[in-house]
Amino acid sequence: MDLITLLIILVVVLIIVIILLTFWGIYNRIIRAENRIDNAWAQIDVQLKRRADLIPNLIETVRGYMKHERGTMESVTNARAAIMSAKTPRESMDANNMLTGALKTLFAVAENYPDLKANQNFLQLQDELTHTEDKIAYSRQHYNDSVLFYNNAIETFPGNFFAHRMGRKAREMLQIPEESKAVPKVSF
Amino acid sequence: MEQQPRLVEDHIRKNKRDTVLICMFMVVLLFSIIFAIGFVLGAPPIFVMAIGLPIALIYIFITYSFSIQSVISAAGARPANPNNREEKLLIYKVDEMAVAAGLPTPKVYIQDSRDINAFATGHKAEDSIICATTGAIQQLNSEELEGVIGHEMSHIMNRDILVMTVTVGVVGAIALLAEIAIRMLFWGGGTRGGKRDGGGGAILIVVAIIFIVLAPIFSRLTYLAISRRREYLADADGAYLTRNPEGLAKALEKIKADIPDDPKGSKTVAPLYIVNPFKRALRDSIWSTHPPLDERIRRLRAM
Repeated sequence: MDLITLLIILVVVLIIVIILLTFWGIYNRIIRAENRIDNAWAQIDVQLKRRADLIPNLIETVRGYMKHERGTMESVTNARAAIMSAKTPRESMDANNMLTGALKTLFAVAENYPDLKANQNFLQLQDELTHTEDKIAYSRQHYNDSVLFYNNAIETFPGNFFAHRMGRKAREMLQIPEESKAVPKVSF
Repeated sequence: MEQQPRLVEDHIRKNKRDTVLICMFMVVLLFSIIFAIGFVLGAPPIFVMAIGLPIALIYIFITYSFSIQSVISAAGARPANPNNREEKLLIYKVDEMAVAAGLPTPKVYIQDSRDINAFATGHKAEDSIICATTGAIQQLNSEELEGVIGHEMSHIMNRDILVMTVTVGVVGAIALLAEIAIRMLFWGGGTRGGKRDGGGGAILIVVAIIFIVLAPIFSRLTYLAISRRREYLADADGAYLTRNPEGLAKALEKIKADIPDDPKGSKTVAPLYIVNPFKRALRDSIWSTHPPLDERIRRLRAM
């Protein structure tokens, strides 16, 4: 075998190795991005459950003070039920937005009950509910960042070349309610 | 923000590359000074490498291993108490920002000081700590505190803590070596240098001595420039995390108006604070750890 043949074989092997490595890298990148989305969704789900779990406690605390606000309390309970029974991410997020609205009303109404506002348990729950709400908003933001990263990975070259063969399609972002972007955060 | 959303992961990758480059540059600088010292003292390069390099690396390693502990004790920080409402709300904020960044939640510490300040420390995201002063949690409102925590979370995300501790280690090692070399030259280095034949050798020795004298200053300036650049970066990334540059801008304005009277902590970690605890540095200077507050506020408002 002369030198030229050897060189050609070497170059061909090198090219094949490079192609394989690229393929490997892209494949891992897509899988990693996908896992990130799933992980981000799991985060949201945990927070949604956590938030829903706080509601019975809140209703229990509030009930004694707000005898004439049955409607307000009912809409909170209904929103909680909607979260518990939601099956798709979209349903979950809709129910969550419903709960956010209902809680906002409830906390606004609570302003009229000085005794309730002085209740330590109520204050604690209010802090914690605000926290889970913020956390859900940030998990949702992280989820959307992850989806954007994933979509970019599979829709741009060279990822699109493989994504199609891997049967991967672009994912949908979670809608962020307009008001949550516009309304400034309440100061403590 | 109308700027195109940056992808955290791409961004982190770029930062890792920067981090590696900076660390490499610092190591090269360290190598050069060790060589220069060896040359001036007339010692064989292999001998110098065998002695000087391990000492320098051990020095950096020690700085690195004890960095978390030393930062926390220098600041006199304590873990946040979840039973205190203000501190609990801080824990909540840190938790929220960690979720936004997709990082594990750092431990939360409190530094008892009237000044408004905060810092982050740790080797990697998993063992990181965010610490805020009592002044910060008392005087900043929720939105401003969120901006400050977002800034600190970005320091963790960008691995600034690692870069800063390593650079501080190298800067310290270079200063130490230069000091030792200059002293040795005063005592008896001259006789050794004399063994060389004059002419070209003498000029090289003078150049090496100048390098040894300038290296500590040069490394310190590099470190400060890195610090200022990373500060702007953390401001921008913090704003990206909170989606609200105004929060941090307002916090910085409050800090600007606040008269610092209670500085605590160690000077070496000053770059990790959101503003330098020792001097407010409103004017730009090559000796500042942080960019001027006015410029930072202006850039945040322009986002």
